[in-house]
Amino acid sequence: MAYVKVKRRELTFAERMYLPAILKGLSHTFKHFVGAGGRAGVTMQYPEEKWELPNFYRGVPALVKDEDGREKCVACSLCEFVCPPRAISIIPQEIEGVVEKAPEVFDIDMLRCIFCGYCEEVCPEEAIFMSKEYEICGTSREELVYGKSKLYEIGLTLGDDGGVTDATKKWERLAREQSEQGVDTHQGADTE
Amino acid sequence: MATLTIDGREVTVEPGTTVIEAVRRLGADVPHYCWHPGLSVAGNCRICLVEVEGMPTVQISCNLGVRDGMVVHTQSEKARQARQDVMELLLINHPLDCPICDQAGECKLQEYSFDFGTDGSRFDFPKVHKPKHVRFSEKVVFDAERCILCTRCVRFLDEVAGKDELDIINRGDRNEIAVARGDELTSDYQMNIVDVCPVGALTSTDFRFKSRVWFLKQTRSVCAGCSRGCNVTVGSRWNRVLRLVPAENQAVNKWWMCDDGRFTYRDVGADDRLGAPMVRKNGRLVEVSWDEALAAAAEGLGNAGKDLTAVVSARLTNEELHLAQTILDHVGAGERGYRARDFAKDDMLRTGDGNPNAAGAELMGLTPFTTDLPGAKHVFLCGDGVEQNEDLSSAAFVLVADCRESQTILEFATVVLPSVTAFEKRGSFTNVDGRIQRVEPSVRAPGSALEDWKLLGRLLAKLTGDAAPTSADSVLKSMGATRPAFEGLSLGRLGPLGKSTATATAAANGEAQ
Repeated sequence: MAYVKVKRRELTFAERMYLPAILKGLSHTFKHFVGAGGRAGVTMQYPEEKWELPNFYRGVPALVKDEDGREKCVACSLCEFVCPPRAISIIPQEIEGVVEKAPEVFDIDMLRCIFCGYCEEVCPEEAIFMSKEYEICGTSREELVYGKSKLYEIGLTLGDDGGVTDATKKWERLAREQSEQGVDTHQGADTE
Repeated sequence: MATLTIDGREVTVEPGTTVIEAVRRLGADVPHYCWHPGLSVAGNCRICLVEVEGMPTVQISCNLGVRDGMVVHTQSEKARQARQDVMELLLINHPLDCPICDQAGECKLQEYSFDFGTDGSRFDFPKVHKPKHVRFSEKVVFDAERCILCTRCVRFLDEVAGKDELDIINRGDRNEIAVARGDELTSDYQMNIVDVCPVGALTSTDFRFKSRVWFLKQTRSVCAGCSRGCNVTVGSRWNRVLRLVPAENQAVNKWWMCDDGRFTYRDVGADDRLGAPMVRKNGRLVEVSWDEALAAAAEGLGNAGKDLTAVVSARLTNEELHLAQTILDHVGAGERGYRARDFAKDDMLRTGDGNPNAAGAELMGLTPFTTDLPGAKHVFLCGDGVEQNEDLSSAAFVLVADCRESQTILEFATVVLPSVTAFEKRGSFTNVDGRIQRVEPSVRAPGSALEDWKLLGRLLAKLTGDAAPTSADSVLKSMGATRPAFEGLSLGRLGPLGKSTATATAAANGEAQ
């Protein structure tokens, strides 16, 4: 291999003296020290002070209830299926009423969650949203598996426009139409 | 014979064949809801439309007989458009239930919508609503809104199960499937209607909302409920068996299985499963290592010699029965046999014999047990310690290999070797007709319990000093040398449908041996 021999530049006298460069650096530091001009500096006083997060920010996924306090999640398990790191685990249960199904257990392992937002994207019921919550801390692995109550609690931070509003009112409409058409939804031979 | 051209390919079939059957003969398929190979033709869903040259309109392929020289197009624009129109009609009143519907993932409406449905509905009016939670029996729930009225369930109960318990009531868009007022389904095969239902209208109360089907690990195996050996697909998740559905095998169960068989999985998750080998020390059973337990078992068997009375379960696989017999021959055991077990009996599938491998046991030279156990000095309960609560207090040595705890084990066992259920091991069963079929594991056994072939193999190795077999397959391959019915067989060679051997059949009918 051919190579080129690069000739190093000779240092000037001032450079060889070492101190001028040190003084130049210190003057830069001093300029910032003084130039802050009464400001506390560039450090943000976290946790007293926090970031203003943009609306597209993806924090901890959270569950929401609708205006009537009904769990919107129907345990269809699509988020569990789509979740790339398999952070979500759901155990469905049968419930009384128009919506026949709800999650008995809805766990998200925050140590696994990669905040990709696929769960929000795939949800057919608009029941899971990415919140702006980013403080995930605990002293054990178990503590960082967020259960249903914790996820609903975080969901409350989303505010009124944060997914609580059910624009389609799909289940409400179903119940209304059923009653208008006089349909007895739960029939059992033993009750006839 | 009639030769017809389907999508450019020629096929020759017997007269009387329908076009859909001819298409399937070619390895292709036409979308269908109401047509089922095991049921009569109803021709009401209209989704199987195909274009036939020379016929002015599209035809339903399920009810169109073949003609010589017929030219059929299943994928033409006209056929596809016609099916899309049928889909639109079927979906007019279909609820958007998929997130809470158990059928999602194995629903034909979903599949065909994906294939050629439209992406929206042009129907602006409120949908017609019907009862969504109708109890047909304690096993089956009906959702009338999801129903597309294909009548597969009606025809199954009438034609196959022989119980004409369902029918369509009301008219027009009020049509519903119903049982007679005040009645419930009584058929012992009623859960098959859940399987034949192409949509989510009929669901099983047992499996309802347990898991979405796409999460299930599907394992093809054999039902161990009776000696019929119905082929099943075991759905499991979280190391738990969640459901059993029949798998097609024309030589055994066609497309069906009985309701009792579907519930046999419940033993797997029982609370009293044995998970560790135990040896009785100072009157108490204590958990020990496998090595210690097997050494104690081998010693006990060696001491017993011809005084040993052995009950070998006909619920064990052929391989395990062979190993058990080899052990007993080696020891020189005197009394041996299997316990007869009762099961429901009818003229459809259920045989009345609750031993899934009774024919296999007969092939191994075992006969139903007649001797009373009480009084025996040395007892080996091989895979069958649960239901026999005999008084074995006079026995000096009781070796039990079983998967569940029982009174016999707690009171009398000297050595306990924990084994597994049919859902946790590999091997083969010989069914009532002498068909040898493959059993596959779908879940892991609890604790350190070992497959019966493994523990019997190790026990045999302890007795003889030879190497223990490394797999159930190796046992099957080697046992052919001494057991002609199994000559040349391996688990791989059995294939998914099993193999019927002439010898096996003859023996099962009591003609040989």
